[in-house]
Amino acid sequence: MAINTEKLAHLLQEFVTVTADVQGAALVTPDGLPLASSLPGPMDEERVSAMSAAMLSLGERICKELARGIIDRIFVDGNEGYGILTSCGEDAVLLVLANRAAKQGVLMLEIKRALESIKPMLA
Amino acid sequence: MEIMRLVVAGTVGAGKSTFIRTISEIEAVDTDKAATDETALLKKKTTVAFDFGRLAFGPEMALHLYGTPGQARFDFMWDILIRKAHAYILLVAANRPSEFRYARQILQFMKQRVRIPMIVGLTHMDCLEAWDLETIKISLRQLEGKGHPPIITVDARDEASVAEALITLMQLLMQTREAAENSMNSP
Repeated sequence: MAINTEKLAHLLQEFVTVTADVQGAALVTPDGLPLASSLPGPMDEERVSAMSAAMLSLGERICKELARGIIDRIFVDGNEGYGILTSCGEDAVLLVLANRAAKQGVLMLEIKRALESIKPMLA
Repeated sequence: MEIMRLVVAGTVGAGKSTFIRTISEIEAVDTDKAATDETALLKKKTTVAFDFGRLAFGPEMALHLYGTPGQARFDFMWDILIRKAHAYILLVAANRPSEFRYARQILQFMKQRVRIPMIVGLTHMDCLEAWDLETIKISLRQLEGKGHPPIITVDARDEASVAEALITLMQLLMQTREAAENSMNSP
């Protein structure tokens, strides 16, 4: 079945709008191409996609070579907010950008839920 | 032990990862992912962060080799890697002349950021569609000013050939260093 990109984009948009303190999200291929995104204005989708893929691939490599098992997520903690990268099955990577006010527990739970609804759409 | 950081840049499918894998004394670190763009027509997997390899260069020097991704969407990685590099080699596949322009763009990107020794390595010279060395030289130099980078041919799969390319680059690096030292010492 073909991937419904419109539905994917809509789902991400809804995730960003509905989830408190989430500012943006992007779903990208492991080789760094955009699948769908809902990002803050000045951010370039292509660039964000490539960076997400590069970062997750390095995280995977660290997990493998430094015997940390299978990667769950990469968590970037900045003084203005968070960037969280999660693998979304074999064919996609999910990036979520949240502001500093976000509660980490809630954020992780929301991401987990979003992944659950995205994964079947990519299958 | 002095560490020299060398960057292996170049067009998609030129052989950057192979180059590092061929010569590295440690098992090269790669960040290969299945290719889903036009790269997939050339090869199954593509580098998305960087490759890393290491080798001893004489008793007191170690070379750290960093391979970049080929696609321009990863140019932030080019930027990160080139800023810390001592020298670099730009690999260009001789059998895909349509990408020579892109190779020049990569070169421009690097030149805007660093002034370090570099050479051009032509790969895939044994392929049927490969242009001959002289024609490529003319083609690649068209838009270049004075101080052309040396252009060599290299087979990224062949250890001796890769070693030769690295020696050429290191010689250039040493010459540049000596020249800089001499000019500093002269009154």
